[in-house]
Amino acid sequence: MTTPTTLSGRALLLLLKLRAVLMLLILLAIFSALSPTFFTANNLSILAKHVSISALLATGMTLVVLTGGIDLSVGSIAGLSGIVAGLLINGLTLGGSTHYPPIPVVILAALLTGALAGAANGLLIARFSVAPFITTLGMLYIARGTALLLSNGHTFPNLAGSQAHHNTGFPALGQSFLLGIPTPVWIALIIAAIAALVAARTPFGRHIYAVGGNERAARLAGIHIARVKLLTYILSGLCAALVGLIIASQLESAHPATGESFELNAIAAVVLGGTSLMGGRGSIGGSLIGALVIGVLADGLVMLGVSEFWQIVIKGVVIVLAVTVDQLQSRVQFRFLNALFRPKQEAAQ
Amino acid sequence: MTDDIILEARSIFKQYPGVTALDKIHFRVHRNAVNVLIGENGAGKSTLMRILAGVESPDAGELLIEGRPITLRSPREATAHGIAIVHQELSIFPNLDLSENIFAGRELTHHALIDRPTEDSRTTSALDRLGKPMAATTQASTLSLGRRQLVELARILAHGAKLLILDEPTSALSLTEADTLFRVLSELKSSGLTIIYISHRLHELLHLGDHFTVLRNGRIVGEAPRTNVTRTWIVERMSGGPQTEALAPTSTPTPLLTVTNLTITPQDDNEITLTNLTFNLYKGEILGIYGLLGSGRTELLEALAGARRFTGTITLNNHPIHLTSTTAAVKHGIALVPEDRQRDGLIPELSIRENIALGSMQGFFINRTDQHQRTQQLARDLNIAAPNLDRPITTLSGGNQQKALLARCLMRNPTILLLDEPTRGVDAGAKLEIYNILRTLAAKGLAILFTSSEIEETQALATRALVLCQGRIATTLTPPHITDEALFTAASPNISPPSSPSSEAVL
Repeated sequence: MTTPTTLSGRALLLLLKLRAVLMLLILLAIFSALSPTFFTANNLSILAKHVSISALLATGMTLVVLTGGIDLSVGSIAGLSGIVAGLLINGLTLGGSTHYPPIPVVILAALLTGALAGAANGLLIARFSVAPFITTLGMLYIARGTALLLSNGHTFPNLAGSQAHHNTGFPALGQSFLLGIPTPVWIALIIAAIAALVAARTPFGRHIYAVGGNERAARLAGIHIARVKLLTYILSGLCAALVGLIIASQLESAHPATGESFELNAIAAVVLGGTSLMGGRGSIGGSLIGALVIGVLADGLVMLGVSEFWQIVIKGVVIVLAVTVDQLQSRVQFRFLNALFRPKQEAAQ
Repeated sequence: MTDDIILEARSIFKQYPGVTALDKIHFRVHRNAVNVLIGENGAGKSTLMRILAGVESPDAGELLIEGRPITLRSPREATAHGIAIVHQELSIFPNLDLSENIFAGRELTHHALIDRPTEDSRTTSALDRLGKPMAATTQASTLSLGRRQLVELARILAHGAKLLILDEPTSALSLTEADTLFRVLSELKSSGLTIIYISHRLHELLHLGDHFTVLRNGRIVGEAPRTNVTRTWIVERMSGGPQTEALAPTSTPTPLLTVTNLTITPQDDNEITLTNLTFNLYKGEILGIYGLLGSGRTELLEALAGARRFTGTITLNNHPIHLTSTTAAVKHGIALVPEDRQRDGLIPELSIRENIALGSMQGFFINRTDQHQRTQQLARDLNIAAPNLDRPITTLSGGNQQKALLARCLMRNPTILLLDEPTRGVDAGAKLEIYNILRTLAAKGLAILFTSSEIEETQALATRALVLCQGRIATTLTPPHITDEALFTAASPNISPPSSPSSEAVL
């Protein structure tokens, strides 16, 4: 890829890079034109809540994918963490007496669950070189199975807690507003901002790109590959646990099936955002845009009354198209820009 | 005198499955000097360097720095001892920019965040010192091989090191780039650095080196200071005796294969351009393609094997053929023994027999009796040293694995045999054996085209040699004229044109 020197060349390159943003703007234009209720505060609030869920998962997923890995277990980890929260709020019976831990402890325990599941993924992948696809596929089943075991297959109802047990307040996590914006949206934005800063500006972030770009070279440069990978899976697990908590809080109940197929949405958002599944290329910002595209598409299609089955087909088509464009990008860009700029350069020489 | 030794390797022994890479080596590195290490491919140079750089551990033996024993368990530990290595295969992160490459694993931080301005200014000054100013924010994937190498050097300059190991640093460089490198190396030497230098190019070794060590088959066969070293001294020790006689050309006047204006236009920035290659291949000849890394020798072979798109005309027995796929090439009787047999050749899970028979099974069912007989025959013909062909292919030595791959190609009764680096990672004995097999095959009428980065191999094997330089045929040589000098001169680029004009002109 060459960096064009002319203004039109740069503009062109920028357009190519920002195609996810373009796609988003086009979708917004279409839906707002076709549906009068699309740009209402109510709908946008619902949309933002949905997007914040997939954006959170996509944030953790991006870190993993940048190293060249993948995390299929995030949906199950979200489900498991919600169940852990549900279990604790409904009281933990130990040695005959029932304990009701305060909400901060509940949240920490749920987050710890996600981190541990992520650490298990990371250890298998980084220390024992098990393929990320296989490891996290295994964790997908393990976490889901554990959620079912802990809940006996049932839903934990009434996560509002009670005054008597001093464990009220959990619903605020997913239902409250701050400055008129839903709390989950704030959480997703803050986490994504931190992750973007870490990825772009810290040694750890740079090591993530280095491992994904050339693992052998990273090893020779003395980068602790195992540590980098382990951390990305832990962070992905933590993001998943947050999602599990938010959903349980919004529903005020914890269901063991929560988060099924969420991993696919997260991967789709990451890929739509221009992150390469081969690793080393992509950004958190891109994944946020990707999550928005998927969210807006789903929401808009519902508003337009498109059949639920068609929605699924359309989503698939959009993902495949976006990735096809991505694959073609470097080749097309290279040839195209060559054709555009080579004559000028030869003249300059 | 011992004070003069900065690093010493004692009785280093290293074995890989099927081959002893280093056989109780004693290697001494002289302080503040250019220590030259010479040997053919597979002599053990790179293995020794990987041990010194902490990438691999020896099976036995010890390392001493400044007279103190040390163990190097990782590249990080070697770095801590001031040992830095520029690898033969570049370790560049194509997805990162120059600052990010140079500070990978050693980021400069300010309040936990990366200190980009300082990194950038140090990057710029390191690159300036190399005489190749480049913007610190340039993406590494846009650089030519030569420039990527300079970036690796800049990485070492930026971090400071006591001992710098360069593994064939000039193999991909143009002459001007190499000159820059030599200038930098003498500057580094005078500033107190110790250098270990590995190369095939005798003239630059004689120009640069202060102490010489020659490796052959995992053993040190010569050690001397510059004053006692001559060209003949090196060549005798490297080859271990008189050079093998090449057969007189047995070519017939009508070409079997005619290649006209074969051109490869790069599809992405890492590919190499081939420009208008025109040559003939005759029945019964062994045509050698000599060229440096990046000259396009592998690309040419891949094009002829149908594995790479190209423009131009190919005729076989005067009939134009279209080599659009490997299947098409096989159909026309063209077979390729790839360069990297571990990656592109062998199926490690299969037996020797199955590896040989792979690709020549026809019809729906495998005719076991027929397959058995043919593989047995070929194994005998090629003298594959295995008690039983049903043993895993991985039990064979490098040389015998190579013969097995050759056997696979011969199963298909090809008319043209393409070999990319036919004896890479093969010991000297097996090497001569493979040469003899190829000569016998040529004498039976097979047309053989091989590429090599080894001068000795090109001289020993080729009945005619084409020299490639930057994607063009520089010259064609016939036996009395295939000299070291002729090959060197033709293969070295005279000017320094960027390998890919589009990506370089804007730098």
